[in-house]
Amino acid sequence: MTSATAVLRRTNVLGVATMLLLLGAWELLIRVGLLDFQNLPAPSAVAARAQQLLASGELMTNLLHTLRVTLLGWVLASVIGIGLGLVLGLWRPAWRWSMASFELLRAVPPISLVPLALLVFGFSVRTELTLIVYASAWPVLVNTIEGVRTVRPELRDVARTLHLSRRETLLKLTLPAAMPSIVVGLQLGLSLALVLAVVAELVGNPSGLGNALILAQLALRPEEMFAYVFTIGLLGIALNAAFRQIVAWTLTSAKPLPGKVS
Amino acid sequence: MTVERSADVSSAALGTQPRSVACQCRNASVDLGSRAGPRRILGDINFDLHEGEFVAILGRSGSGKTTLLRVLGGLVDPTPESVVTFHGRPVAGPPQDVVFVFQNYAASLLPWRTVHNNVALGLEGKVPVAVKRARISESLATVGLEARAADYPWQLSGGMQQRVQLARSLAMRPRGLLMDEPFGSLDAMTKASLQDQLQQVHQHTGATIAFVTHDIDEAVFLSDRILVLDGSPATIAHEIPVELPRPRDQLATKELPEFLRLRRQVYDAIVETGD
Ligand SMILES: Nc1ncnc2c1ncn2[C@@H]1O[C@H](COP(=O)(O)OP(=O)(O)OP(=O)(O)O)[C@@H](O)[C@H]1O
Ligand SMILES: [Mg+2]
Repeated sequence: MTSATAVLRRTNVLGVATMLLLLGAWELLIRVGLLDFQNLPAPSAVAARAQQLLASGELMTNLLHTLRVTLLGWVLASVIGIGLGLVLGLWRPAWRWSMASFELLRAVPPISLVPLALLVFGFSVRTELTLIVYASAWPVLVNTIEGVRTVRPELRDVARTLHLSRRETLLKLTLPAAMPSIVVGLQLGLSLALVLAVVAELVGNPSGLGNALILAQLALRPEEMFAYVFTIGLLGIALNAAFRQIVAWTLTSAKPLPGKVS
Repeated sequence: MTVERSADVSSAALGTQPRSVACQCRNASVDLGSRAGPRRILGDINFDLHEGEFVAILGRSGSGKTTLLRVLGGLVDPTPESVVTFHGRPVAGPPQDVVFVFQNYAASLLPWRTVHNNVALGLEGKVPVAVKRARISESLATVGLEARAADYPWQLSGGMQQRVQLARSLAMRPRGLLMDEPFGSLDAMTKASLQDQLQQVHQHTGATIAFVTHDIDEAVFLSDRILVLDGSPATIAHEIPVELPRPRDQLATKELPEFLRLRRQVYDAIVETGD
């Protein structure tokens, strides 16, 4: 099979067609004057503006900033979430001591912490990172706990009768068995990381796509706003797709999971 | 290798030729928690397993067969006054050189590991790589699965998966095997072929085997002795020696009058426990 047909097979042709159709309708409605808002640009105008932003390098700079913070924050959140999740999931006392605090913290929507973070860290990338890490650590944490808690008891018996050490049991049985659940947490965390990055840039950190969006609004440039909104959307899709691809590779080769032969 | 203590006592009591004791159970009781507090499941179980002996454990559902086997395998703690030893050492946690074979083979194999790597699980880091490889191929060959080493468990049939678990246990070179209804959910043909394989393994390795089953024919066909559990809490209600010639054959052995007599005797013993 050629790669062209492979790509075609994996692309949702109908979905893309629908999207193009909607864009076409939008363009048409504006051209004939049926849609007549002061600040609603036609897709062609948005595309033209995006072209300019690309050419000037402005879009790329903002995109890279947002991408970098999102990924950095997500990686930190994942390390924290998995580490803490293992401790809480596997060690009963830790769970009993901290559960109440966690339930309380979890009930606070991360976005409501934005003003607080601003006050503490000021208009900086630290505000942004803190918010991202805080928000996206939750799903990783919760799913890690869930994952290690629901490992089948039979597997623990297997580990015991084969005389696996605690460390081996964790690395060879518990973690791989919990991996599907952890992966779900990581994916949710990644989406949240981007959301929080944009929110933080909208209100706090003076760089990135969110900040560019606000500047475009202040400058009354709706085409530019739409260009950035689409960029954020595309970034979200790209991050998600990249994540899925990496997971797929990891799982099909089955080796990078901690089950490889020593 | 040999166990000094009490080997003579038990063999004299059982009237068998003197063989050393592999596993000893004295006044073994087990309390397990239920909603109404701890409940005594096993009460005062007494028996020995001799080196190289094949003992089948029978009893009605819920009588405590799995619990007893788990006690021998160090997976369940008996009451403090119980004395359970394996190879001369008190059982506290799974004993060395003893492997438990679980009834639920699907849940006992790691779906993210190939057959080869599942069999490797207990050997990794414990023996040199070359030894490990050799033992894996040897035990896979024993159960006739060399050709499927690179497959994943879910690509195999139920019988094959149970053979993988058996291979994983054999690769540990155990002196004791504790098998909980290992062939319980398999069809008659697969069951018969696995029984033959197990018989060969027993003959070649001389391992001591405790084998829980619901199947009277299987118990008589494979074992040297049958223990029937009954009561609440459960004790050993019957002990039936099986002295059929070995090696045993699926057809010839099962047509022997002695086989039929034993089968009848075990059946009566189990039915009687119902009253
Ligand atoms: N973890 C447990 N906690 C409390 N009670 C248990 C536990 N495991 C088993 N029991 C109880 O102990 C008794 C014996 O159970 P066990 O599993 O040993 O029976 P069994 O003879 O193996 O039955 P089956 O033939 O159906 O497998 C049952 O009444 C069961 O309810
Ligand atoms: Mg059972």
